[in-house]
Amino acid sequence: MAETAAGAANGGGAGGAAPIFEARTVSKSYGHVEALIGVDFEILPNEVVGLLGDNGAGKSTLIKIMSGVVRPDTGSFFRNGTPITLDSRRQSEAAGIETIYQDIALVGSMSIMRNVFAGRELANRGGFLRMKKMRDTAMLILDRYVRIAGITSPELMVEELSGGQQQAVAIARAVHFKHDMLLLDEPTSALSVRETEKVLSFMTELAEGGVSCVFVTHNLYQAYRVCHRFVVMAHGRVVKVARKEETSIAELTDLLVTH
Amino acid sequence: MASADSRGAAVDRYAGAGAFDRLRKHPAGNVVIVFAVFFAACVVVSLLFPTDFRFLQSANLRILMRAIPPIGIMALGVGLLMITGEFDLSVGAVFILAPYVMVFAFVNGVPLSLSVLAALATGLLVGMVNGIITVRFGIPSFIATMGMLFILRVSGRIIASNRPLSFFPPDGFEEALTGRIGPIMQAQFLWFLGLATAAWLFLDRHRLGNHFFAVGGNREAAVSLGINVGRTKLLAFVLCSILAAFAGVISTTRINSATSTPQLFLELEAIAICVIGGLALTGGRGAVLGIVLGACILQMVKDVIILTKLPGFYLDMFIGIVIVFGVALNRLARKKY
Repeated sequence: MAETAAGAANGGGAGGAAPIFEARTVSKSYGHVEALIGVDFEILPNEVVGLLGDNGAGKSTLIKIMSGVVRPDTGSFFRNGTPITLDSRRQSEAAGIETIYQDIALVGSMSIMRNVFAGRELANRGGFLRMKKMRDTAMLILDRYVRIAGITSPELMVEELSGGQQQAVAIARAVHFKHDMLLLDEPTSALSVRETEKVLSFMTELAEGGVSCVFVTHNLYQAYRVCHRFVVMAHGRVVKVARKEETSIAELTDLLVTH
Repeated sequence: MASADSRGAAVDRYAGAGAFDRLRKHPAGNVVIVFAVFFAACVVVSLLFPTDFRFLQSANLRILMRAIPPIGIMALGVGLLMITGEFDLSVGAVFILAPYVMVFAFVNGVPLSLSVLAALATGLLVGMVNGIITVRFGIPSFIATMGMLFILRVSGRIIASNRPLSFFPPDGFEEALTGRIGPIMQAQFLWFLGLATAAWLFLDRHRLGNHFFAVGGNREAAVSLGINVGRTKLLAFVLCSILAAFAGVISTTRINSATSTPQLFLELEAIAICVIGGLALTGGRGAVLGIVLGACILQMVKDVIILTKLPGFYLDMFIGIVIVFGVALNRLARKKY
Protein backbone atom coordinates (compact mmCIF):
# COMPACT_ATOMS: atom_id res chain seq x y z
CA MET A 1 0.00 0.00 0.00
CA ALA A 2 2.90 2.33 0.71
CA GLU A 3 4.12 1.95 -2.87
CA THR A 4 0.74 2.74 -4.40
CA ALA A 5 0.36 5.85 -2.30
CA ALA A 6 3.83 7.12 -3.12
CA GLY A 7 3.47 6.19 -6.78
CA ALA A 8 0.24 8.10 -7.14
CA ALA A 9 1.83 11.06 -5.42
CA ASN A 10 4.55 11.17 -8.03
CA GLY A 11 2.17 10.89 -10.93
CA GLY A 12 -0.74 13.01 -9.68
CA GLY A 13 -1.27 16.72 -9.35
CA ALA A 14 -2.27 18.82 -12.30
CA GLY A 15 0.81 20.86 -13.04
CA GLY A 16 -0.01 24.31 -14.37
CA ALA A 17 -3.77 23.85 -13.99
CA ALA A 18 -5.81 26.81 -12.76
CA PRO A 19 -6.51 26.68 -9.01
CA ILE A 20 -10.01 25.64 -7.96
CA PHE A 21 -9.65 27.70 -4.78
CA GLU A 22 -7.54 30.69 -3.85
CA ALA A 23 -7.11 32.64 -0.64
CA ARG A 24 -5.33 35.98 -1.02
CA THR A 25 -3.54 38.08 1.64
CA VAL A 26 -5.40 36.53 4.53
CA SER A 27 -4.59 38.05 7.93
CA LYS A 28 -5.95 37.27 11.35
CA SER A 29 -4.98 38.55 14.79
CA TYR A 30 -6.11 37.40 18.19
CA GLY A 31 -5.44 40.48 20.32
CA HIS A 32 -1.73 41.15 19.95
CA VAL A 33 -1.00 37.74 18.50
CA GLU A 34 -0.78 37.75 14.72
CA ALA A 35 -1.90 34.27 13.74
CA LEU A 36 -1.82 34.89 9.98
CA ILE A 37 0.04 37.65 8.14
CA GLY A 38 -0.84 38.18 4.47
CA VAL A 39 -1.10 34.49 3.63
CA ASP A 40 -1.73 33.32 0.06
CA PHE A 41 -2.93 29.77 -0.40
CA GLU A 42 -4.33 27.88 -3.33
CA ILE A 43 -5.74 24.45 -4.07
CA LEU A 44 -5.21 22.88 -7.49
CA PRO A 45 -7.47 20.24 -9.03
CA ASN A 46 -6.71 16.58 -8.26
CA GLU A 47 -3.95 17.23 -5.76
CA VAL A 48 -3.03 16.41 -2.21
CA VAL A 49 -1.39 19.54 -0.84
CA GLY A 50 0.54 19.29 2.40
CA LEU A 51 0.09 22.22 4.78
CA LEU A 52 3.12 21.95 7.01
CA GLY A 53 4.41 23.88 9.98
CA ASP A 54 5.20 23.71 13.64
CA ASN A 55 2.66 24.35 16.38
CA GLY A 56 1.49 27.96 16.23
CA ALA A 57 2.54 28.37 12.59
CA GLY A 58 -1.04 29.33 11.67
CA LYS A 59 -2.13 26.13 9.91
CA SER A 60 -5.22 25.56 12.02
CA THR A 61 -6.27 29.22 11.80
CA LEU A 62 -6.06 29.04 8.02
CA ILE A 63 -8.11 25.84 7.97
CA LYS A 64 -10.74 27.35 10.26
CA ILE A 65 -11.00 30.42 8.04
CA MET A 66 -11.39 28.29 4.92
CA SER A 67 -14.12 26.23 6.59
CA GLY A 68 -16.03 29.36 7.59
CA VAL A 69 -15.67 28.88 11.34
CA VAL A 70 -13.32 31.84 11.91
CA ARG A 71 -13.56 35.16 10.08
CA PRO A 72 -10.33 36.71 8.85
CA ASP A 73 -9.45 40.37 9.51
CA THR A 74 -8.51 40.83 5.87
CA GLY A 75 -8.34 38.60 2.83
CA SER A 76 -10.29 37.55 -0.23
CA PHE A 77 -11.31 34.16 -1.58
CA PHE A 78 -11.91 32.86 -5.07
CA ARG A 79 -13.65 29.74 -6.29
CA ASN A 80 -12.56 28.89 -9.86
CA GLY A 81 -11.57 32.55 -10.19
CA THR A 82 -14.91 33.94 -8.93
CA PRO A 83 -14.86 35.92 -5.66
CA ILE A 84 -16.73 34.24 -2.81
CA THR A 85 -17.33 34.95 0.88
CA LEU A 86 -16.66 32.44 3.63
CA ASP A 87 -18.56 33.93 6.55
CA SER A 88 -20.20 30.73 7.72
CA ARG A 89 -19.90 27.00 7.62
CA ARG A 90 -22.77 26.92 5.13
CA GLN A 91 -21.01 29.26 2.71
CA SER A 92 -17.86 27.21 2.92
CA GLU A 93 -19.84 24.04 2.25
CA ALA A 94 -21.63 25.66 -0.66
CA ALA A 95 -18.21 26.47 -2.10
CA GLY A 96 -17.42 22.75 -2.02
CA ILE A 97 -15.18 22.70 1.04
CA GLU A 98 -15.50 20.06 3.74
CA THR A 99 -13.35 19.87 6.84
CA ILE A 100 -12.36 16.77 8.76
CA TYR A 101 -11.18 17.83 12.18
CA GLN A 102 -8.58 16.27 14.38
CA ASP A 103 -11.25 15.49 16.95
CA ILE A 104 -13.68 13.88 14.59
CA ALA A 105 -16.89 15.81 14.04
CA LEU A 106 -19.20 12.85 14.49
CA VAL A 107 -21.74 12.19 17.22
CA GLY A 108 -20.71 9.00 19.01
CA SER A 109 -24.14 8.26 20.44
CA MET A 110 -25.78 8.32 17.00
CA SER A 111 -25.77 5.68 14.26
CA ILE A 112 -23.59 6.01 11.17
CA MET A 113 -26.68 6.69 9.09
CA ARG A 114 -27.87 9.49 11.35
CA ASN A 115 -24.36 10.96 11.40
CA VAL A 116 -23.99 10.90 7.65
CA PHE A 117 -27.18 12.91 7.29
CA ALA A 118 -26.97 15.06 10.44
CA GLY A 119 -27.84 18.61 9.44
CA ARG A 120 -28.61 17.43 5.88
CA GLU A 121 -31.38 14.96 6.55
CA LEU A 122 -33.41 13.54 3.70
CA ALA A 123 -36.91 14.52 4.70
CA ASN A 124 -40.32 15.07 3.20
CA ARG A 125 -42.02 18.46 3.21
CA GLY A 126 -43.19 18.14 6.79
CA GLY A 127 -39.63 17.50 7.92
CA PHE A 128 -40.18 13.80 8.56
CA LEU A 129 -37.20 11.66 7.72
CA ARG A 130 -37.24 9.39 4.71
CA MET A 131 -35.76 6.53 6.67
CA LYS A 132 -35.59 3.96 3.90
CA LYS A 133 -34.00 6.39 1.47
CA MET A 134 -31.49 7.45 4.14
CA ARG A 135 -30.67 3.85 5.03
CA ASP A 136 -30.23 2.86 1.37
CA THR A 137 -28.09 5.89 0.62
CA ALA A 138 -25.96 5.34 3.71
CA MET A 139 -25.49 1.70 2.69
CA LEU A 140 -24.45 2.85 -0.78
CA ILE A 141 -21.96 5.33 0.65
CA LEU A 142 -20.49 2.66 2.89
CA ASP A 143 -20.23 0.23 -0.01
CA ARG A 144 -18.66 2.73 -2.34
CA TYR A 145 -16.25 4.60 -0.12
CA VAL A 146 -15.72 2.82 3.13
CA ARG A 147 -15.24 -0.84 2.16
CA ILE A 148 -11.66 -0.70 3.27
CA ALA A 149 -12.65 0.36 6.75
CA GLY A 150 -14.69 -2.79 7.27
CA ILE A 151 -17.96 -1.22 8.30
CA THR A 152 -20.95 -3.24 7.16
CA SER A 153 -24.05 -1.69 8.67
CA PRO A 154 -25.25 1.93 8.71
CA GLU A 155 -27.03 1.16 11.98
CA LEU A 156 -23.81 0.81 13.98
CA MET A 157 -23.22 3.46 16.61
CA VAL A 158 -20.27 5.66 15.73
CA GLU A 159 -18.80 5.17 19.22
CA GLU A 160 -18.43 1.46 18.43
CA LEU A 161 -16.08 2.19 15.54
CA SER A 162 -12.32 2.55 15.73
CA GLY A 163 -10.69 5.95 15.16
CA GLY A 164 -9.79 5.06 11.57
CA GLN A 165 -13.28 3.82 10.82
CA GLN A 166 -14.68 7.07 12.18
CA GLN A 167 -12.36 9.08 9.94
CA ALA A 168 -13.52 6.96 7.03
CA VAL A 169 -17.17 7.73 7.81
CA ALA A 170 -16.40 11.46 8.07
CA ILE A 171 -14.53 11.38 4.76
CA ALA A 172 -17.25 9.33 3.05
CA ARG A 173 -19.84 11.82 4.23
CA ALA A 174 -17.81 14.67 2.76
CA VAL A 175 -17.31 12.90 -0.54
CA HIS A 176 -20.94 11.90 -0.85
CA PHE A 177 -22.08 15.48 -0.51
CA LYS A 178 -20.09 16.36 -3.60
CA HIS A 179 -17.46 18.48 -1.98
CA ASP A 180 -14.37 18.61 -4.15
CA MET A 181 -12.05 20.05 -1.51
CA LEU A 182 -11.35 18.23 1.68
CA LEU A 183 -9.44 19.92 4.50
CA LEU A 184 -7.97 17.30 6.82
CA ASP A 185 -6.65 18.81 10.05
CA GLU A 186 -4.17 16.35 11.56
CA PRO A 187 -6.33 13.40 10.50
CA THR A 188 -3.79 10.78 11.44
CA SER A 189 -2.60 12.11 14.79
CA ALA A 190 -4.86 9.84 16.83
CA LEU A 191 -4.65 6.75 14.64
CA SER A 192 -2.74 3.50 14.73
CA VAL A 193 -0.16 2.76 12.03
CA ARG A 194 -2.53 0.56 10.08
CA GLU A 195 -5.37 3.06 10.24
CA THR A 196 -3.00 5.84 9.22
CA GLU A 197 -2.11 3.85 6.10
CA LYS A 198 -5.78 3.60 5.22
CA VAL A 199 -6.37 7.32 5.58
CA LEU A 200 -3.25 8.12 3.53
CA SER A 201 -4.26 5.85 0.67
CA PHE A 202 -7.79 7.24 0.94
CA MET A 203 -6.44 10.74 0.28
CA THR A 204 -4.57 9.53 -2.77
CA GLU A 205 -7.67 7.80 -4.12
CA LEU A 206 -9.76 10.88 -3.50
CA ALA A 207 -7.35 13.17 -5.34
CA GLU A 208 -7.37 10.80 -8.31
CA GLY A 209 -11.16 10.81 -8.20
CA GLY A 210 -11.37 14.62 -8.32
CA VAL A 211 -11.44 15.58 -4.64
CA SER A 212 -8.43 17.72 -3.76
CA CYS A 213 -7.16 17.25 -0.23
CA VAL A 214 -5.39 19.68 2.08
CA PHE A 215 -3.40 17.53 4.48
CA VAL A 216 -2.43 19.44 7.62
CA THR A 217 0.25 17.60 9.54
CA HIS A 218 3.41 17.71 11.61
CA ASN A 219 4.51 14.45 10.13
CA LEU A 220 6.79 15.17 7.19
CA TYR A 221 7.23 11.54 6.24
CA GLN A 222 3.50 10.94 5.90
CA ALA A 223 3.13 14.19 3.99
CA TYR A 224 6.01 13.43 1.67
CA ARG A 225 4.48 10.09 0.72
CA VAL A 226 1.09 11.35 -0.40
CA CYS A 227 1.39 15.07 -1.20
CA HIS A 228 1.91 16.50 -4.67
CA ARG A 229 2.72 19.94 -3.36
CA PHE A 230 3.84 21.47 -0.06
CA VAL A 231 3.02 24.76 1.61
CA VAL A 232 5.24 25.41 4.61
CA MET A 233 4.13 27.92 7.23
CA ALA A 234 5.99 29.53 10.12
CA HIS A 235 4.92 32.29 12.51
CA GLY A 236 1.79 33.12 10.53
CA ARG A 237 3.49 33.40 7.13
CA VAL A 238 3.95 31.09 4.18
CA VAL A 239 7.70 30.48 3.90
CA LYS A 240 7.79 28.00 1.04
CA VAL A 241 5.58 26.62 -1.70
CA ALA A 242 7.03 23.79 -3.74
CA ARG A 243 5.97 20.92 -5.93
CA LYS A 244 7.20 17.55 -4.80
CA GLU A 245 9.74 17.24 -7.61
CA GLU A 246 11.18 20.67 -6.74
CA THR A 247 12.01 19.85 -3.16
CA SER A 248 13.25 17.10 -0.92
CA ILE A 249 12.43 15.79 2.47
CA ALA A 250 15.74 17.20 3.70
CA GLU A 251 14.86 20.71 2.53
CA LEU A 252 11.40 20.53 4.08
CA THR A 253 12.86 19.32 7.36
CA ASP A 254 15.29 22.19 7.28
CA LEU A 255 12.52 24.72 6.70
CA LEU A 256 10.49 23.39 9.59
CA VAL A 257 13.41 23.33 11.97
CA THR A 258 15.05 26.65 11.13
CA HIS A 259 11.96 28.84 11.14
CA MET B 1 -6.21 -5.71 2.44
CA ALA B 2 -9.32 -5.26 4.52
CA SER B 3 -8.45 -8.03 6.89
CA ALA B 4 -10.99 -10.10 8.68
CA ASP B 5 -9.85 -8.84 12.09
CA SER B 6 -10.43 -5.20 11.29
CA ARG B 7 -13.98 -6.04 10.27
CA GLY B 8 -14.51 -8.20 13.27
CA ALA B 9 -14.33 -5.45 15.85
CA ALA B 10 -17.48 -3.73 14.73
CA VAL B 11 -19.45 -6.50 13.15
CA ASP B 12 -19.05 -9.77 15.00
CA ARG B 13 -21.17 -8.84 17.97
CA TYR B 14 -24.07 -8.42 15.57
CA ALA B 15 -23.57 -11.75 13.88
CA GLY B 16 -24.70 -13.77 16.87
CA ALA B 17 -26.91 -11.13 18.43
CA GLY B 18 -30.20 -12.61 19.57
CA ALA B 19 -33.36 -10.79 20.51
CA PHE B 20 -32.13 -10.32 24.09
CA ASP B 21 -28.87 -8.71 22.97
CA ARG B 22 -30.76 -6.42 20.64
CA LEU B 23 -33.01 -5.42 23.51
CA ARG B 24 -29.99 -4.71 25.72
CA LYS B 25 -28.52 -2.49 23.03
CA HIS B 26 -31.69 -0.44 22.63
CA PRO B 27 -31.50 2.87 24.55
CA ALA B 28 -34.57 1.81 26.55
CA GLY B 29 -33.55 -1.86 26.72
CA ASN B 30 -32.66 -1.93 30.40
CA VAL B 31 -35.83 -0.18 31.49
CA VAL B 32 -37.98 -2.60 29.47
CA ILE B 33 -36.42 -5.45 31.42
CA VAL B 34 -36.74 -3.66 34.78
CA PHE B 35 -40.37 -2.77 34.06
CA ALA B 36 -41.25 -6.31 33.00
CA VAL B 37 -39.66 -7.83 36.10
CA PHE B 38 -41.19 -5.27 38.47
CA PHE B 39 -44.65 -5.58 36.91
CA ALA B 40 -44.50 -9.38 36.97
CA ALA B 41 -43.43 -9.29 40.63
CA CYS B 42 -46.35 -7.00 41.52
CA VAL B 43 -48.76 -9.32 39.69
CA VAL B 44 -47.40 -12.44 41.37
CA VAL B 45 -47.47 -10.96 44.87
CA SER B 46 -50.93 -9.60 44.22
CA LEU B 47 -52.15 -13.07 43.18
CA LEU B 48 -50.53 -14.70 46.19
CA PHE B 49 -51.80 -12.16 48.72
CA PRO B 50 -54.93 -10.68 47.14
CA THR B 51 -56.26 -9.16 50.36
CA ASP B 52 -53.00 -7.61 51.60
CA PHE B 53 -51.56 -6.41 48.28
CA ARG B 54 -54.37 -5.11 46.09
CA PHE B 55 -52.26 -4.19 43.10
CA LEU B 56 -54.44 -5.94 40.53
CA GLN B 57 -57.78 -4.57 41.76
CA SER B 58 -59.33 -2.38 39.11
CA ALA B 59 -59.62 0.54 41.54
CA ASN B 60 -55.85 0.44 42.06
CA LEU B 61 -55.09 0.13 38.37
CA ARG B 62 -57.37 3.09 37.72
CA ILE B 63 -55.43 5.11 40.26
CA LEU B 64 -52.25 4.32 38.33
CA MET B 65 -53.90 5.32 35.05
CA ARG B 66 -54.74 8.69 36.63
CA ALA B 67 -51.46 9.22 38.45
CA ILE B 68 -49.01 8.36 35.69
CA PRO B 69 -50.05 10.86 32.97
CA PRO B 70 -49.38 14.26 34.62
CA ILE B 71 -45.86 13.41 35.78
CA GLY B 72 -45.30 11.31 32.66
CA ILE B 73 -46.22 14.14 30.28
CA MET B 74 -43.98 16.47 32.25
CA ALA B 75 -41.16 13.92 32.01
CA LEU B 76 -41.63 13.72 28.22
CA GLY B 77 -40.77 17.41 28.03
CA VAL B 78 -37.92 17.15 30.52
CA GLY B 79 -36.59 14.19 28.53
CA LEU B 80 -36.73 15.97 25.17
CA LEU B 81 -34.75 18.79 26.74
CA MET B 82 -32.33 16.44 28.49
CA ILE B 83 -31.49 14.85 25.14
CA THR B 84 -30.26 18.25 23.95
CA GLY B 85 -28.04 18.35 27.04
CA GLU B 86 -30.05 20.79 29.18
CA PHE B 87 -32.17 20.72 32.36
CA ASP B 88 -35.36 22.42 33.37
CA LEU B 89 -36.01 22.68 37.09
CA SER B 90 -38.88 25.12 36.59
CA VAL B 91 -41.32 22.52 35.20
CA GLY B 92 -42.77 21.90 38.66
CA ALA B 93 -43.62 25.59 38.98
CA VAL B 94 -45.07 25.77 35.46
CA PHE B 95 -47.17 22.72 36.31
CA ILE B 96 -48.76 24.81 39.10
CA LEU B 97 -48.78 28.31 37.56
CA ALA B 98 -50.04 27.56 34.02
CA PRO B 99 -53.29 25.88 35.09
CA TYR B 100 -53.80 28.61 37.68
CA VAL B 101 -53.67 31.14 34.86
CA MET B 102 -56.21 29.02 32.95
CA VAL B 103 -58.66 28.78 35.86
CA PHE B 104 -58.19 32.44 36.78
CA ALA B 105 -59.07 33.44 33.22
CA PHE B 106 -61.99 30.99 33.05
CA VAL B 107 -63.65 32.09 36.29
CA ASN B 108 -63.30 35.69 35.13
CA GLY B 109 -65.37 35.03 32.03
CA VAL B 110 -62.74 34.18 29.42
CA PRO B 111 -63.94 31.38 27.09
CA LEU B 112 -62.57 27.97 28.05
CA SER B 113 -60.62 27.47 24.81
CA LEU B 114 -58.82 30.79 25.27
CA SER B 115 -58.18 29.99 28.93
CA VAL B 116 -56.51 26.73 27.95
CA LEU B 117 -54.48 28.61 25.34
CA ALA B 118 -53.44 31.07 28.05
CA ALA B 119 -52.12 28.17 30.11
CA LEU B 120 -50.12 26.80 27.19
CA ALA B 121 -48.91 30.33 26.35
CA THR B 122 -47.65 30.63 29.92
CA GLY B 123 -45.59 27.51 29.31
CA LEU B 124 -44.37 28.83 25.98
CA LEU B 125 -43.30 32.12 27.54
CA VAL B 126 -41.45 30.48 30.43
CA GLY B 127 -39.72 28.11 27.99
CA MET B 128 -38.65 31.02 25.78
CA VAL B 129 -37.20 32.91 28.75
CA ASN B 130 -35.42 29.80 30.06
CA GLY B 131 -34.05 29.10 26.61
CA ILE B 132 -32.91 32.63 25.90
CA ILE B 133 -31.18 32.99 29.27
CA THR B 134 -29.40 29.67 28.76
CA VAL B 135 -28.54 29.98 25.08
CA ARG B 136 -27.85 33.69 24.66
CA PHE B 137 -26.22 34.45 27.98
CA GLY B 138 -24.49 31.12 28.43
CA ILE B 139 -25.83 30.58 31.94
CA PRO B 140 -26.07 26.86 32.78
CA SER B 141 -29.69 25.78 32.47
CA PHE B 142 -29.50 24.16 35.88
CA ILE B 143 -28.99 27.60 37.43
CA ALA B 144 -31.23 29.59 35.07
CA THR B 145 -34.22 27.30 35.55
CA MET B 146 -33.66 27.00 39.29
CA GLY B 147 -33.97 30.78 39.46
CA MET B 148 -37.08 30.54 37.30
CA LEU B 149 -38.51 27.91 39.66
CA PHE B 150 -38.38 30.32 42.59
CA ILE B 151 -39.59 33.32 40.58
CA LEU B 152 -42.61 31.40 39.29
CA ARG B 153 -43.45 29.99 42.70
CA VAL B 154 -43.49 33.43 44.25
CA SER B 155 -45.42 34.98 41.33
CA GLY B 156 -47.97 32.20 41.64
CA ARG B 157 -48.40 33.05 45.31
CA ILE B 158 -48.74 36.78 44.60
CA ILE B 159 -51.33 36.28 41.85
CA ALA B 160 -53.27 33.77 43.84
CA SER B 161 -52.76 35.26 47.29
CA ASN B 162 -52.93 31.70 48.57
CA ARG B 163 -56.50 31.28 47.37
CA PRO B 164 -57.34 27.99 45.65
CA LEU B 165 -59.79 28.40 42.77
CA SER B 166 -62.49 25.88 41.93
CA PHE B 167 -62.61 24.78 38.33
CA PHE B 168 -65.80 23.33 36.91
CA PRO B 169 -65.52 23.33 33.14
CA PRO B 170 -68.31 21.98 30.89
CA ASP B 171 -68.63 18.18 31.08
CA GLY B 172 -67.33 17.55 27.59
CA PHE B 173 -63.98 19.13 28.46
CA GLU B 174 -63.53 17.15 31.64
CA GLU B 175 -64.55 13.93 29.92
CA ALA B 176 -62.15 14.51 27.04
CA LEU B 177 -59.18 15.19 29.31
CA THR B 178 -59.79 13.01 32.33
CA GLY B 179 -62.86 10.86 31.67
CA ARG B 180 -63.11 7.18 32.48
CA ILE B 181 -63.03 4.81 29.52
CA GLY B 182 -64.01 1.24 30.29
CA PRO B 183 -63.28 -0.48 33.61
CA ILE B 184 -59.63 0.63 33.92
CA MET B 185 -58.59 3.02 31.16
CA GLN B 186 -58.62 6.78 31.72
CA ALA B 187 -58.69 9.50 29.05
CA GLN B 188 -55.56 11.16 30.46
CA PHE B 189 -53.61 7.95 29.96
CA LEU B 190 -54.57 7.98 26.28
CA TRP B 191 -53.39 11.60 26.10
CA PHE B 192 -50.11 10.47 27.63
CA LEU B 193 -49.72 7.66 25.10
CA GLY B 194 -50.71 9.99 22.27
CA LEU B 195 -48.19 12.65 23.29
CA ALA B 196 -45.54 9.97 23.78
CA THR B 197 -46.18 8.75 20.24
CA ALA B 198 -45.90 12.31 18.96
CA ALA B 199 -42.65 12.75 20.90
CA TRP B 200 -41.32 9.52 19.40
CA LEU B 201 -42.24 10.62 15.88
CA PHE B 202 -40.51 13.92 16.53
CA LEU B 203 -37.34 12.52 18.08
CA ASP B 204 -36.90 9.44 15.96
CA ARG B 205 -38.50 10.29 12.65
CA HIS B 206 -38.17 14.05 12.28
CA ARG B 207 -35.28 16.16 11.11
CA LEU B 208 -35.42 18.30 14.22
CA GLY B 209 -35.28 15.23 16.47
CA ASN B 210 -32.06 14.22 14.76
CA HIS B 211 -30.73 17.68 15.59
CA PHE B 212 -31.75 17.23 19.25
CA PHE B 213 -29.58 14.12 19.51
CA ALA B 214 -26.69 15.72 17.61
CA VAL B 215 -26.70 18.87 19.75
CA GLY B 216 -26.78 16.88 23.00
CA GLY B 217 -24.39 14.19 21.83
CA ASN B 218 -21.56 16.37 20.54
CA ARG B 219 -22.12 20.10 20.51
CA GLU B 220 -18.99 20.91 18.50
CA ALA B 221 -19.84 18.31 15.86
CA ALA B 222 -23.36 19.73 15.57
CA VAL B 223 -21.93 23.22 15.05
CA SER B 224 -19.51 21.99 12.42
CA LEU B 225 -22.37 20.22 10.63
CA GLY B 226 -24.17 23.54 10.37
CA ILE B 227 -26.89 22.71 12.91
CA ASN B 228 -28.17 25.79 14.72
CA VAL B 229 -27.49 24.75 18.31
CA GLY B 230 -29.12 27.79 19.92
CA ARG B 231 -32.37 27.46 18.00
CA THR B 232 -32.52 23.71 18.61
CA LYS B 233 -32.12 24.14 22.38
CA LEU B 234 -34.61 27.01 22.46
CA LEU B 235 -37.19 24.75 20.80
CA ALA B 236 -36.46 22.05 23.39
CA PHE B 237 -36.98 24.50 26.29
CA VAL B 238 -40.28 25.67 24.79
CA LEU B 239 -41.59 22.11 24.19
CA CYS B 240 -40.57 21.17 27.73
CA SER B 241 -42.47 24.05 29.35
CA ILE B 242 -45.56 23.64 27.15
CA LEU B 243 -45.78 19.96 28.07
CA ALA B 244 -45.43 20.86 31.77
CA ALA B 245 -48.26 23.40 31.34
CA PHE B 246 -50.46 20.79 29.65
CA ALA B 247 -49.69 18.26 32.38
CA GLY B 248 -50.83 20.88 34.90
CA VAL B 249 -54.04 21.48 32.95
CA ILE B 250 -54.86 17.75 33.09
CA SER B 251 -54.10 17.54 36.79
CA THR B 252 -56.15 20.64 37.62
CA THR B 253 -59.08 19.45 35.52
CA ARG B 254 -59.11 16.14 37.35
CA ILE B 255 -59.13 17.61 40.85
CA ASN B 256 -61.40 20.54 39.82
CA SER B 257 -59.23 23.00 41.66
CA ALA B 258 -56.22 25.18 40.98
CA THR B 259 -53.87 26.10 43.75
CA SER B 260 -50.71 28.12 44.06
CA THR B 261 -49.26 25.81 46.67
CA PRO B 262 -46.08 24.28 45.24
CA GLN B 263 -45.79 20.53 45.03
CA LEU B 264 -42.23 19.92 46.10
CA PHE B 265 -39.78 17.91 44.02
CA LEU B 266 -42.04 17.38 41.00
CA GLU B 267 -39.16 18.51 38.77
CA LEU B 268 -36.82 16.04 40.41
CA GLU B 269 -39.37 13.26 39.95
CA ALA B 270 -39.48 14.12 36.24
CA ILE B 271 -35.70 13.99 36.03
CA ALA B 272 -35.67 10.71 37.97
CA ILE B 273 -38.15 9.24 35.47
CA CYS B 274 -35.81 10.16 32.62
CA VAL B 275 -32.84 8.62 34.41
CA ILE B 276 -34.82 5.42 35.11
CA GLY B 277 -35.76 5.50 31.42
CA GLY B 278 -32.12 5.34 30.38
CA LEU B 279 -31.62 8.94 29.26
CA ALA B 280 -28.13 10.32 29.78
CA LEU B 281 -27.98 13.34 32.08
CA THR B 282 -25.23 14.59 29.80
CA GLY B 283 -27.50 14.52 26.74
CA GLY B 284 -27.55 12.81 23.37
CA ARG B 285 -28.96 9.48 24.51
CA GLY B 286 -32.39 8.12 25.22
CA ALA B 287 -35.70 6.93 23.86
CA VAL B 288 -39.30 7.95 24.44
CA LEU B 289 -40.22 4.37 25.37
CA GLY B 290 -37.80 4.71 28.28
CA ILE B 291 -39.56 7.81 29.57
CA VAL B 292 -42.99 6.15 29.33
CA LEU B 293 -41.84 3.06 31.22
CA GLY B 294 -39.83 5.20 33.65
CA ALA B 295 -43.01 7.11 34.54
CA CYS B 296 -44.87 3.82 35.02
CA ILE B 297 -42.12 2.44 37.24
CA LEU B 298 -41.96 5.54 39.44
CA GLN B 299 -45.72 5.58 39.98
CA MET B 300 -45.75 1.83 40.60
CA VAL B 301 -43.12 2.32 43.30
CA LYS B 302 -45.34 5.00 44.87
CA ASP B 303 -48.25 2.62 44.59
CA VAL B 304 -46.37 -0.22 46.24
CA ILE B 305 -45.33 2.09 49.07
CA ILE B 306 -48.99 3.03 49.60
CA LEU B 307 -50.30 -0.55 49.27
CA THR B 308 -47.75 -1.86 51.74
CA LYS B 309 -48.42 1.11 54.06
CA LEU B 310 -44.77 2.15 54.19
CA PRO B 311 -44.11 5.75 55.25
CA GLY B 312 -44.14 8.21 52.33
CA PHE B 313 -40.57 9.40 52.81
CA TYR B 314 -39.38 6.11 51.38
CA LEU B 315 -40.38 7.53 48.03
CA ASP B 316 -38.04 10.50 48.42
CA MET B 317 -35.27 8.09 49.31
CA PHE B 318 -36.11 5.99 46.26
CA ILE B 319 -35.90 9.04 44.00
CA GLY B 320 -32.54 10.00 45.50
CA ILE B 321 -31.21 6.49 45.03
CA VAL B 322 -32.53 6.33 41.47
CA ILE B 323 -30.85 9.56 40.45
CA VAL B 324 -27.49 8.61 41.92
CA PHE B 325 -27.38 4.92 41.07
CA GLY B 326 -29.38 5.15 37.87
CA VAL B 327 -26.69 7.35 36.38
CA ALA B 328 -23.95 5.01 37.56
CA LEU B 329 -25.76 1.91 36.26
CA ASN B 330 -26.48 3.46 32.88
CA ARG B 331 -22.85 4.36 32.55
CA LEU B 332 -21.75 0.84 33.51
CA ALA B 333 -24.19 -0.73 31.08
CA ARG B 334 -22.82 1.46 28.30
CA LYS B 335 -19.22 0.55 29.02
CA LYS B 336 -19.90 -3.05 28.12
CA TYR B 337 -20.19 -2.19 24.45
